[in-house]
Amino acid sequence: MEENQKITKQEKRLLRREERSLEQIQVARKRLFRKITMWTGIFAGLGLTLYLMILFVNRPLPETKLTTEISANDHIKGNPAALTTLVEYSDFQCPACASYFPLVKKLLEENDDAIRFVYRHFPLPQHKNARLAASVAEAAGLQNKFWEMHDLIFENQFRWENLSNAKASEEFTKYATQLGLNLPKFTTDLDSEELKTRVEADYLSGNASGVNSTPTFFLNGKKMLQPRDYENFKNIVLGA
Amino acid sequence: MKTLKILFLALSLLGFLDASYLAIKYYQGEAPTCAFFKGCDVVTTSEYATIFGISIALLGAIYYLSLLILSIIYLDTKNPRLIKIGTVIAGGGFLFSLWLIYLQIFVLNALCIYCVASALSSTSLFIIGMILWKKSSY
Repeated sequence: MEENQKITKQEKRLLRREERSLEQIQVARKRLFRKITMWTGIFAGLGLTLYLMILFVNRPLPETKLTTEISANDHIKGNPAALTTLVEYSDFQCPACASYFPLVKKLLEENDDAIRFVYRHFPLPQHKNARLAASVAEAAGLQNKFWEMHDLIFENQFRWENLSNAKASEEFTKYATQLGLNLPKFTTDLDSEELKTRVEADYLSGNASGVNSTPTFFLNGKKMLQPRDYENFKNIVLGA
Repeated sequence: MKTLKILFLALSLLGFLDASYLAIKYYQGEAPTCAFFKGCDVVTTSEYATIFGISIALLGAIYYLSLLILSIIYLDTKNPRLIKIGTVIAGGGFLFSLWLIYLQIFVLNALCIYCVASALSSTSLFIIGMILWKKSSY
């Protein structure tokens, strides 16, 4: 009898121990399960947020149209009778505009018969010499050298972008001399209200057309996506 | 203590979202332009925006993600060693942020609001990390 009881006691102890370890295994399992759920939730949440951000960055922009028609006041290059019209709102002090300048130039040189190109000023307020540069190009324009000055201003952007207004003015006068402009007239024109109004009119027309960065291109009146490179640019413009 | 730990986690999350946004912009965004309020366009398209061809924004996102994961593991396991590891990482991020802010102010003359936000969060992370370290060593 006693022996039997002893065995059952031992068995009970073993059984209890087994139960306890089973419980432990279950607790550990639960803990592991909880951890897996937690981390899956965290990474799913982060992944979803990233996905939404990618969608946000790539959201299609509302279609914007050019509101101000091309007029005799505009600076036109290429073929005035061409079916394709490319309008650029640009800022002479904007590095991105300077990097697009050779692309536009090449496009016009290679296809000057197919494109009517219009340059409009959109001097951004943070570029302190941009308005002056626009006026300089306009003053040269009064002596029929708008495009020559436009090219010189862009090609030399790195020389004048960080100068003070007065120093930049001196630098621009050099370009006027280089182009053989009538300097006294150039200087007087540069100070005239008429020129400032002319630049401001371009800026306002850009505002009206929803321009908020430079360069902004309008292809046949519709805002164009910023081309990535020359081939892309050419294909979009000539494909229109 | 608890508030600081939650704040550490929240700041790493904010930093991660901030840096990810810049990284997505960098890899998927349009070609560079100049927009009103110069700043991010100048900064994120500059030659300093990448290290060995990898966008700094992407490195930032990985840095914040590691701090985020670390702080979640800490809140889960309460292992005090993680505070030390996190603070050392945050210290590295803080020094790197100083360098980036220096570049923006003195070299590029342009401040990008997203980059400033990141510098602020990495500075706070470092400070919080040090406080937690000090408190946990008692």
